[in-house]
Amino acid sequence: MSKDSKMRATINQKLTEMGERERLKELLRAKLTECGWRDQLKAHCKDVIKEKGLEHVTVEDLVVEITPKGRVLVPDSVKKELLQRIRAFLAQHAT
Amino acid sequence: MKMEDMSLSGLDNTKLEALAQDIYSDLVEDACLGLCFEVHRAVKQGYFFLDDTDQESMKDFEIVDQPGVDIFGQVYNQWKNKECVCPNCNRSIAASRFAPHLEKCLGMGRNSSRIANRRIASSNNMNNKSESDQEDNDDVNDNDWSYGSEKKAKKRKSDKNPNSPRRSKSVKHKNGEELSNSVNADPYKYNYNTGINYETLGPDELRSLLTTQCGVISEHTKKMCTRSQRCPQHTDEQRRAVRVFLLGPSASSLPDADTMVESDCYDASDGQVLMSRLQWDGSSDISPSDSASSKASTNNSDSKKPKKKKKTSLGLNSTGGGGGGSGSGGGSSSQTSLVGLSNRKKKPKLPVPPTQYLDNLN
Repeated sequence: MSKDSKMRATINQKLTEMGERERLKELLRAKLTECGWRDQLKAHCKDVIKEKGLEHVTVEDLVVEITPKGRVLVPDSVKKELLQRIRAFLAQHAT
Repeated sequence: MKMEDMSLSGLDNTKLEALAQDIYSDLVEDACLGLCFEVHRAVKQGYFFLDDTDQESMKDFEIVDQPGVDIFGQVYNQWKNKECVCPNCNRSIAASRFAPHLEKCLGMGRNSSRIANRRIASSNNMNNKSESDQEDNDDVNDNDWSYGSEKKAKKRKSDKNPNSPRRSKSVKHKNGEELSNSVNADPYKYNYNTGINYETLGPDELRSLLTTQCGVISEHTKKMCTRSQRCPQHTDEQRRAVRVFLLGPSASSLPDADTMVESDCYDASDGQVLMSRLQWDGSSDISPSDSASSKASTNNSDSKKPKKKKKTSLGLNSTGGGGGGSGSGGGSSSQTSLVGLSNRKKKPKLPVPPTQYLDNLN
């Protein structure tokens, strides 16, 4: 098991060092904005804020409310593409 | 070694897949967090709700979906039926026509041509005298042609110089003034566009018309040409033929103005016969302008000036002829005057005809 975790740590390190992580992040953001995911989530935020009151909203409140919904709302195409890229990276660099 | 390698390198696919999934969800969470921070900052800084419109305005600008109205709620033909009163002419004008009307009314727009209208109005006032009517008859009343040329010709008329030689010529010609006036009265009887129908006119009218106008009857319209006696479209032969046709063979004489006036000088029948014979024989020499313009070989002259002079000299002759003794003197004087006339005109045939005249006279 520790090998797995070691493995993982190595790969993550590689991901970051090579800049692949950043690239993937940017790609994901662009795709999510493009497909309207961001606006949907923002509208949801408005509801939460109106519910909780403008003055007393905390980051935690928002995170708790938004993240699960955000995960669900990601379109399938975006998910597939990202996974494909990650697998490719792993295949290349996991050995 | 191999086993280690394999275990090291070969995380099996499920694990790899799991790893991929983990990496993916990390990335998504990152994105969500980023959004949350952004929104929270906007809320705390107070600019989160700025780009929204308030509820009242939302109601004002709501999309309208009624018939007869656009999505803003405006009616399409709202200003069509309204009428405005023009401040210039005090007429009630439809709203959609108001701007073009004003342009024309005030004479200040691009297509208003107010200056031209003013010019026409002032020139119409000038043209109401009888002398310029004669000019009008010359070119405007050629009814063998179409409508359009008549209008154009009328406009061009008003631009003519009042001191042009043509005008002065028509003034000179006014010995038979009552004649021309009567002829001018006739044009008002019939429309400029329709021309003269010879069937409807009586013999007197015909005669008066034929003295001043060409009168040749057009084949296709059966109407008389209303141009001057010298109109280039018709030959003198045609004019003579028309006169024969309309008035009878005895009365066919072209420059009838002369004959009418000469009846005062001496016996009408003698004078007319003499004049007609004279005009037919030798008129080509006396009027070079005519021969230049007309197409026929035998040229019954139309010009007034030389005829006048000739007539006066002949008048002298005939009265002298009665006396006998003075006749020869009158004859010689007439001869010299005639020769003088012909010399002035510079025609090669000159020497021959005057002797003929003398023969006829004597």
